Amino acid sequence: MRSSLKRKRLLLGIILLTALALPGAAMAEEIKIGVLFPLTGGAAAAGRELRSGAELALEIANSAMPDIDMTMAKNAGIKSMGGSKITLIFKDHEGNPTLGADLAKKLILDDKVHGLMGAYHSAVTKTVSAVAEQYGIPLINDSSTSPELTKQGYKWFWRTTPHDIYFTKDLFEFLKGLTEGKVKGVPAVPKQDILNLASACEKTEWGAAVSELIEKFGKDYGFEVKKSILYAAKATDLSSEVRSLIAVKPDAMLFASYTSDAILMMKTLKDQKAAPKLLWGQNAGFEVPEFVSTLGDAAVGSLTRTVFIPKIAQVKPVAAKVNSMYKAKTGNDLSGASARSFTGLQAWVHVLEKAGSLKPADIQKAANAIEIPGAELVVPWQGIKFATSGDDIGQNTLGMGLIGQYQKTADGKIDLEIVYPFNVATANMLYPFPKF
Amino acid sequence: MDILLGSIASGILLGMVLSLVALGLTIIFGLMDIVNFAHGEFLMIGMYTGLLTAQATGLDPLLTLPLAAGIGFLLGVACYGGFVKYLLRGPMIAQLLGTFGLMLLLRNIALLFFGSEDRGLHHGLLVGKSFDIGMGIIISATKLAVAVLAVLSFCGVWLLMNRTKLGKALTATALNRQGARYMGIPTERMNALAWGIGCATVTVAGALIVNFWSVNPYVGLIFTMIAFTVVALGGFGSVPGAFFAGLVVGFIMEIPGFWDFFAITFDIGWMADVPMTSFKYTWIYVAYFVIMLIRPRGLFGWKQ
Repeated sequence: MRSSLKRKRLLLGIILLTALALPGAAMAEEIKIGVLFPLTGGAAAAGRELRSGAELALEIANSAMPDIDMTMAKNAGIKSMGGSKITLIFKDHEGNPTLGADLAKKLILDDKVHGLMGAYHSAVTKTVSAVAEQYGIPLINDSSTSPELTKQGYKWFWRTTPHDIYFTKDLFEFLKGLTEGKVKGVPAVPKQDILNLASACEKTEWGAAVSELIEKFGKDYGFEVKKSILYAAKATDLSSEVRSLIAVKPDAMLFASYTSDAILMMKTLKDQKAAPKLLWGQNAGFEVPEFVSTLGDAAVGSLTRTVFIPKIAQVKPVAAKVNSMYKAKTGNDLSGASARSFTGLQAWVHVLEKAGSLKPADIQKAANAIEIPGAELVVPWQGIKFATSGDDIGQNTLGMGLIGQYQKTADGKIDLEIVYPFNVATANMLYPFPKF
Repeated sequence: MDILLGSIASGILLGMVLSLVALGLTIIFGLMDIVNFAHGEFLMIGMYTGLLTAQATGLDPLLTLPLAAGIGFLLGVACYGGFVKYLLRGPMIAQLLGTFGLMLLLRNIALLFFGSEDRGLHHGLLVGKSFDIGMGIIISATKLAVAVLAVLSFCGVWLLMNRTKLGKALTATALNRQGARYMGIPTERMNALAWGIGCATVTVAGALIVNFWSVNPYVGLIFTMIAFTVVALGGFGSVPGAFFAGLVVGFIMEIPGFWDFFAITFDIGWMADVPMTSFKYTWIYVAYFVIMLIRPRGLFGWKQ
């Protein structure tokens, strides 16, 4: 009995030793990327989408799928490194900046990752990027939009997603287009008709920054921002805010809101019989599924900026292909979150392919040099190319946003239709905003 | 002028909603000297009760009110019998921490079962309806309903406390528990009843409030804070005090509206530039602070 136990132990030891030794030998070229997302907590729903998007990109990168028109689908693994496969190590930062920084350190020191990706919340990305900078490990950010992040002059930080300056500029390009008759299905609107704007933004870093951008671009584009309100996203009642907005009789109402406040805002606008000609939200609360499921028909006609709308598949075959794979895998369409994490990992694959080695310095050099054409991306950007100089270092200069409008389809469903950029519009815009 | 009248109307309605939310807190405090930190969580439970029942049965949300009241009453009695009764034997700090713990427990149970996302009603007799009666006064049907319920509840509780034997027994228990027991009043049952009534008023408020505000497991905290201010302003334990204090707090929350009125009517540039809405809740806490400083008893307080 005893000897058999000993033998078992010996056997186990040998197995363990081989298991330990094997990765050293056979998997020397395994590429490890640490991915930080909010997988639990308030943003868990977004976290799950982000994770699924990155996993789908990983699947495509690690196996050859010639029917997808993407460079990373052509080979299994990274060709320039002899077909090395990528492994993603997911960590949950719960939306907590301190935890995010700790996890990034663990990934670098314990898991010895070659690179990082994440982290959705701008506040978390900020602390994680500081850790990456300290250790000289490349970090590609896929989905944080605070303009501040690429203003830090970091040498190990790259961001694929456009940030809020781009998105707010898009809004004003769109308004300008509206006055020039460029919007599908809407004859040119006299500027006088949409001259007066009013904005209400939640008052933490994100909303406050958006509020300032709206004022700045409003001035640049010759609109009049009559009222800029900052409010608490946790507010229980927004009737005084809404009355304040209505009091200046704005033609367009602009919002930067999280989930519950976006819904409350819309309900209060409806209660107070607000009648703007145009209503726009800076994604977040205006893009989550609850926005439509809670508001129903009241959502119809409102605009939101985003980076991905399933309708993009109509004008982009590669997006249609990836979207159908994603749907088969998760049951959902790609969203602004999953499409961006997919694209973030895609950028990683291109960087690694170009670097041809796992030395941080080589990866850094490659990241600064890559250029991914827009045709390969699921998002409607002109491509990915990072700025290497100027005041926005590491920012993808070819990104752009979409503006979608909630419209009712023939079968009674409420869907996002693209209204901007004008050349990919999928439907006639509803203008003016239908009365609540 | 429109904005002034609109703000006044909205302040009154909102004030009544808030006084209804605070009613249960003042009942429980007035009768038992317990500060119930879990008060907002009872509101949250009422909101979920209204929401889920309406969604599951397809009934109009208004019909869920009796159920919410029943659940609130039972929950209150159960909380007293199974938990608070034992806390009362401990020192004051145990009661504070005890109800604080209850708050965390209820919130996390809600989180476990309902998830963290916001949910709201979008069908119902009153949902999304409002009346424009001119001159800038727009009355939302749901808030009007809550206001009516508030008046009814306050009248009901006031009558109960002042015109019935039961009310006398409750008051006697509150004033001197031992003395009441000597007079043959079943004080334990009175306490349980106080908790039952207190919780029932707040859950029924929740079931009605969910018609216009959405619910998530964290929604209780801000209501607890506001309810505390209302109760402190009105005087801890005072039922009429809570009603009038609710109105005052409603007006305080409309300060940005009054500010706008002055800024626009008199065309004062610097006033229009002050981000008053950012400080909306600040005034409530300033009011709370000032009251605590100059009149800790509150406006109608009868307890020292």
